[in-house]
Amino acid sequence: MAAPHRQSRLSNALFAAPYLVVFIALLVVPLIWGIYLSLQKADLFGLYGFTGWTNYARVLNDALFWQSVRNTLLFVVVTVPILVGIGLFLGLALNARTGGAAFMRGVYFSSTVLSVTIVTLIWRFVFIPGDGLLSLAFQAMGWQPIGFLSTEGWSLFSVGVATVWWCIGLPMILILAALQQIPGDLYEAAALDNASRWRTFTRVTLPQIRGTLILVATIQIVMQFQLFGQAQLMTNGGPNGTSRPMVLYIYRAAFENWDVGQGAAASELLFLIILVAAMGQYWVTSRGPRT
Amino acid sequence: MKKLLLTSAAVACLATGASAQTTIELQRFFGACDSDYGDNTDVSAAVGECGIITSLINDFQAQNPDITVDVTTVEWPGYDQLNAQLASRNAPDVVSMHYSVISDYTSRNLLEPLGDILSEQGIDTSTFTDAALAGVTKDGQIYALPFDNWTMLWHVNLNLMEEAGLLNDDGTPIVPGSTDEFFEQAAQFKEATGKPYLVQILANETAAYTRLFYTFLMQQGVDPFTDPNAVDLTTPEATAAAEFLKRIYDEGATTTDMDYPAAVAGFSGGDGGIGINGTWLIGDYAAQSQEEGNALSDGYTVYPLPQLFGAQDATYADGHGWAVPRDPRRSDEEVAAIGQLMAYLAENDGEWARTGHLPAVASVFETEEFQSLPHRDNIAEVAETGQSLNPEVRRQFAIQDIIGEELNSAVHGNKPVDEALSTAQQRINDLLASL
Repeated sequence: MAAPHRQSRLSNALFAAPYLVVFIALLVVPLIWGIYLSLQKADLFGLYGFTGWTNYARVLNDALFWQSVRNTLLFVVVTVPILVGIGLFLGLALNARTGGAAFMRGVYFSSTVLSVTIVTLIWRFVFIPGDGLLSLAFQAMGWQPIGFLSTEGWSLFSVGVATVWWCIGLPMILILAALQQIPGDLYEAAALDNASRWRTFTRVTLPQIRGTLILVATIQIVMQFQLFGQAQLMTNGGPNGTSRPMVLYIYRAAFENWDVGQGAAASELLFLIILVAAMGQYWVTSRGPRT
Repeated sequence: MKKLLLTSAAVACLATGASAQTTIELQRFFGACDSDYGDNTDVSAAVGECGIITSLINDFQAQNPDITVDVTTVEWPGYDQLNAQLASRNAPDVVSMHYSVISDYTSRNLLEPLGDILSEQGIDTSTFTDAALAGVTKDGQIYALPFDNWTMLWHVNLNLMEEAGLLNDDGTPIVPGSTDEFFEQAAQFKEATGKPYLVQILANETAAYTRLFYTFLMQQGVDPFTDPNAVDLTTPEATAAAEFLKRIYDEGATTTDMDYPAAVAGFSGGDGGIGINGTWLIGDYAAQSQEEGNALSDGYTVYPLPQLFGAQDATYADGHGWAVPRDPRRSDEEVAAIGQLMAYLAENDGEWARTGHLPAVASVFETEEFQSLPHRDNIAEVAETGQSLNPEVRRQFAIQDIIGEELNSAVHGNKPVDEALSTAQQRINDLLASL
């Protein structure tokens, strides 16, 4: 007699094993090792004793840490909706089976394949004072040039612009893929009902790609919380720490100050914040009616 | 089958024996310039830090065909990368290192003492200058081949200074002797030329702020690190030094928003009269001044930072050396090759001095080649006035970043001076207390 198909068998685990091994080796072990390190006095070259919650207390009492948390939250709150919004706009605009649309998809996606070094070099040419593109434009208009990379407020803004430009390809492609999955008969039905374009968009298109929009937002929240390279290379976190994100704070602690314990403690806090933010976002957006 | 295996083993042995090629890995900052100097072995034809060190390594390899030097160029200063390499036991054989960070690495036993390697090559350490030798010696052991000493300098655009009426009768620039004189001259300069007096690195930067701050503290006779484990920045002298830097900015006596490359190019393009930058640019600027049709044509000179505070003439100094990370797996051949490279670099310290750095080998000062280099008379006194921090202070680069960040805030008016200094003090002391 054949075993019921739901019956669990140990040999079934073999199918999941390859993934599980990689998952445990590359994610679970480092996570636990990170928690262990955060409770130690440690540098890159050794451990010097258990210190309990000292590293966490030092991080939580550090005004610079809270400043980096605020910077990161502000960055995520501003860039993620922009990335989803522009991604949706580009997806809709380029959702056509023409050569021109395919070409433009390639153009918009091309920035994503660049390394962060190239991206920041390009945007440095735009933002630097003196010979920078914006500086020259300001001079041509007779305006006072702005030190985009060295003025409070503008520095994080500049990092955000470079980030949106760099990251826009993935949301666009994901949304485009979702748009192309929408069955054509839904639009035909809407047309028969004489629905306006706006009504078709809000009642057919948006509900159909809702899952993808949630996915895109979640991916971007997790990615943008980990902002690092652009800020390090464009502004080095300055001026006055106003563009220093959490990962740069962690990097400074661990690699520049050699304080791996403190860096690990801050990393665990970042992990918790990302977890809460991504779960919260998922919970809020997935409560609505499913279509 | 057995015969085949034996034959291939023999071939493998022969191949290894025939190519007695020793490879050593060298990691350095000083930039990349392979398009200009990638194949150049004529060191005398090279200009600037990057050109000269690239040509030196090329020439060394040409002279020692059995040694391959595998060069990795890192973004200045490259210590984060080195730390990661050391932690993963994948460090290079030779690495460029500032004297001010050597104690970080020796305190964790990460560097090879070089006494034996140098003596085997017949390098007498007494031939190094006192400043250079002190920079690389920790607990009586030498941990790097000293290569130079450097400071920040007063690079002068004589063409603009002439326009501003700030030249003496003999054509030398008028150098301020106090902060008041500084601001008088800055005002006169701006009035005449419409340009700021100084070209400074003020954006995306920490090192320049800190080096000037240390210099002005030292000129007031203050050592902020009498205790290597705690800094005191709540002194009137620290406030005076920081207020001075802020007033330069407030009064428009400096270019603003320039990062390091912008400031180097800015002085070279005539954006201001005085470039505050390091010894390493003398060679480049002097070469530019020999050419026609640019802002420095026939109009460049350089001086030590002027004494603007009363107690003593002093300027913050550091130096570059070549350190050897510990590696128990390193072969005798590799150690010998490292020794040969060290000997070559020490022999050619005079070539390196053409960059503008002060030589680490004392006899270079006496050579005709060095004395005929432009402007070296002007800055010779730096050998006496240069001061480094208390060598027992660890994490000097991290401290430099903290002071630079806080001074940046103070100078730009994002924080009051006293708050910036007390925050810097608290951050540095927290860092040092956690060591």
